[in-house]
Amino acid sequence: MRAFERFSHRFDWPLFTAIVALLAIGMMNLYSASETSGRSLFAAQMVWLVFGVVGAVATTAIDYRHFYRASGFTYAAGIVLLVLVLAVGKNLNGAQRWLYVGIWLQPSEPMKVLAVLALAKLLHDEGASQSERRHYPLLQILVALLPIVLILRQPDLGTAAVVGLILGSMLVAVRLPAGAFVPLIVAGLISLPLCWRFVLTAYQRRRIVTFLNPTRDPSGAGWQARQALLAIGAGGVSGMGFMRGTQNVLNFVPERWTDFPFAVLAEEWGLFGGLLVIGLYTLAVVRALRIAMDARDRFGSVTAVGVGALIFWHAVLNLAMVMGLMPVVGITLPFLSYGGSSLVTMLGASGLLLNVGLRRVTY
Amino acid sequence: MSTRYRWLVLAVAAVFLVLIGRLWQLQVLRAEQYRTATYGNMVQKRPLPTLRGRLLDRQGRVLADNQPAYSLVMRVVREKPDVLAELFETIGVSARQRRAAAARLARAVRRRRGDPFVLIRELSRDQLGRFEMHRERLKAFRVASGVRRHYPNGRLAAHVLGYMSLVSPAELADSRGQPYLPDDLVGRFGAERLFEPYLRGVRGIERVVVDAHGSRVDEPWVDQMLGQRRRHAPVPGDDVRLTLDLDLQRVVDDELSRVEAGAAAVVDVESGRILAMSSAPAFDPNLISGVLPPQEAKALLEDPRRPLLDKAVREHYFPGSVFKVATAIAALEAGVVDAKETIQCTGALKRGRSRFRCTHQHGRVDLQRALAESCNIYFYRIAERLGIDRLAKYARMLGFGSPTGLGLNGEVAGVVPDQTWYRGRSRRYQPGFALNAAIGQGDVKVTALQVATAYAAIANGTLMLPRLVERIEQGSGELVVYQSHPRARQQLPVAPQTLELLRRALTAAVHDRKGTAYAVRLKRWKVAGKTGTAQVGRLRGQSAQQEHAWFAAFAPAEQPQIAVAVLVEHGGAGAKAAAPIAMKIIERYLDSSPAHPQLAHTAEHRQR
Repeated sequence: MRAFERFSHRFDWPLFTAIVALLAIGMMNLYSASETSGRSLFAAQMVWLVFGVVGAVATTAIDYRHFYRASGFTYAAGIVLLVLVLAVGKNLNGAQRWLYVGIWLQPSEPMKVLAVLALAKLLHDEGASQSERRHYPLLQILVALLPIVLILRQPDLGTAAVVGLILGSMLVAVRLPAGAFVPLIVAGLISLPLCWRFVLTAYQRRRIVTFLNPTRDPSGAGWQARQALLAIGAGGVSGMGFMRGTQNVLNFVPERWTDFPFAVLAEEWGLFGGLLVIGLYTLAVVRALRIAMDARDRFGSVTAVGVGALIFWHAVLNLAMVMGLMPVVGITLPFLSYGGSSLVTMLGASGLLLNVGLRRVTY
Repeated sequence: MSTRYRWLVLAVAAVFLVLIGRLWQLQVLRAEQYRTATYGNMVQKRPLPTLRGRLLDRQGRVLADNQPAYSLVMRVVREKPDVLAELFETIGVSARQRRAAAARLARAVRRRRGDPFVLIRELSRDQLGRFEMHRERLKAFRVASGVRRHYPNGRLAAHVLGYMSLVSPAELADSRGQPYLPDDLVGRFGAERLFEPYLRGVRGIERVVVDAHGSRVDEPWVDQMLGQRRRHAPVPGDDVRLTLDLDLQRVVDDELSRVEAGAAAVVDVESGRILAMSSAPAFDPNLISGVLPPQEAKALLEDPRRPLLDKAVREHYFPGSVFKVATAIAALEAGVVDAKETIQCTGALKRGRSRFRCTHQHGRVDLQRALAESCNIYFYRIAERLGIDRLAKYARMLGFGSPTGLGLNGEVAGVVPDQTWYRGRSRRYQPGFALNAAIGQGDVKVTALQVATAYAAIANGTLMLPRLVERIEQGSGELVVYQSHPRARQQLPVAPQTLELLRRALTAAVHDRKGTAYAVRLKRWKVAGKTGTAQVGRLRGQSAQQEHAWFAAFAPAEQPQIAVAVLVEHGGAGAKAAAPIAMKIIERYLDSSPAHPQLAHTAEHRQR
């Protein structure tokens, strides 16, 4: 009994609640999106959810300092898988992203977490041994760049960019003076869509979109993005109701269980649904930062920042894309998108967060 | 560490706030606009075809109606060409169908995504059978049932009924009234064209909900959402009941089909109704309506007998001697001659360097004999006294020189020359022109319908407006939209004795032993008529063609019911080529007419 109380006291219930809520919303939304198309993906995703939860329990329960020790090995394993993808992966529409290892796997997904762990170890070690400090920045950049280059070769520029953003965020969060963050991030985020809309010409935008998505039909992409936008707008404040969004039911929303689940959610649940989901992401990311601040050691802290960045960038880029602030790139929405690799990766990463939180310094 | 945390949280919150702002913009500020757009996405207006009104004869017998037809609809626009190739291979299509299908596909691709469209109109029975047999392989297509225009009597009254053809780009662009759609057939000729606004009806509208692939969705919520707006029923076109008499028309067409080319018109003397009107050779509107194959179109257009021309109203001819009635009336009314005066015919008349000929030496003839025996010299002599202007005045009174007012097939006015007319032509007027005009040559041109209405006017004393429509009705006669009534163009300002004299003279032309049409007179009916043999101008480098044969008449002579005009192009002598046809028409009509029993009595009386 005392053991549970101690656990409960240390366990990050708000983060847990946010993730469980997102998962529940995601499953419900997937049901609406896939049942209406006549393809039942709900059961398949349920299986993945079970895998993910098992994985999350494991990454929560095993003391994260074991991950510290294994991080070099797991990073290497991830790199091997990425190399294998390029060598023997399945080529789908001109991109080679999938690997068959008993099941179909997209190694770039778990690689995001494995890279976070490896980089966290390097940043931790840097703090511990002052003498070797000089070599570390170069090594850190190499460790970050290797998976990015391999993913770029698939080619999957969206995922490569996300990996870059995550690892970059970790380096910036740890290295930069505290005062430089807000101007940097805010200016960057505001200028990006502004540049997109006002600085670049239509022709340049098309070139970029085609470059980011070599597999996607450029004329079709604009139509898809617009259909998603229509779905969100038509949802209005109150939404059209579960399984009653016409853009969803009539198949107008594209890729609606992988890249565009938020369009379905916003159409059927309106502003309330949309705000709830954005709020839950904000909560999750803020809790990740809190865990990072309270972490027992630098490895835990940097890992928490990395996982927080993982959730943050996925959510922000996906939402910006679905809401028409960004070109359409294939980035999943954490906990809401259909797909085993993504879900298991996100849950495993969340387990790490809870893990670091459980083993924090308590007063 | 604590400030770093606070700044990071702030940055994260700021980014999410931007997203919330965007969500607000989309779902609150622009919700209405986007909802409208999604409505436009899924709700499609589909036209519901209407039924074209029928063309009926005066008794309500069908002259043109609609028949079930099957067309092939392509469900989805974006199909690869090999799907089309497979279809063509399987059902077997003509080169013409293939070209039309390619054009329709191109048009459909340019239109909205996903709309099904008609790929092949009017599948043949064989094609339908082959499609049904292989429909499993041809999932991109389905058969749609519709209607096609059908003329159950084939070539009968082809030029009066007319035909339909594919809507033209100009008509598609015309936004006045109910717009046409691609693939619509439009009344192009004859009554089909004249009554197009009545016949075509009003299309209905059906709103359907489609998904992103363009497939129709039928769920309970669709009905709920669309409600009353779901369907506006089409209004069928009005039936047009014509004045034609199917039986008589058949007689006229049959008789006329034996000649190379010609025209005939039969009008009801009292009312101006056109009982039959025909132009030979005729065409089959069943074959022409729709898209005419180029070879067949070429054949029709290049046929020297000009089958597409309505020779009853659209072409004018020298009337020859049938025009002499106008000269006779003019001379009597102007007082330049009286019924008793006789003029010596020596077979020829010399005026200046010109020689005017007659058929033979008639000796001394009065007006009646001159008309009955068709003496040219008599009419030359009275034309000299009359002058061309007075002749023209009376000719116009009989309706020559202007369209009859029927409005069908762009009828022409014909030509009645006078001095003013010649001034306009920059040909110096010569007195000899009046002589030629007096016998229906020179520059006089008339249509067959004008001749029929002129002879009806002589019989009736009033020039009637010829009528083709009896009434226009809705729903099989439940509601009469339009009822036509007899309308006089004008009472002939001619003394009754003049007309009486002409009637006697025309009767003599048929029943007098020396009359030009004596050989073809009827046993049971008295006919008043006039033959005409119009010389055709000799073109440079060509030998003279045979004359146009005319016969114009009304019957029965004592109490006229119908007036008939028959023209046989290059038929030769009117008495031989045209008069027998007219007599046959008159006989068949009067024999079968239950009206005027007293006339039948007269006939019996005469036989006894």
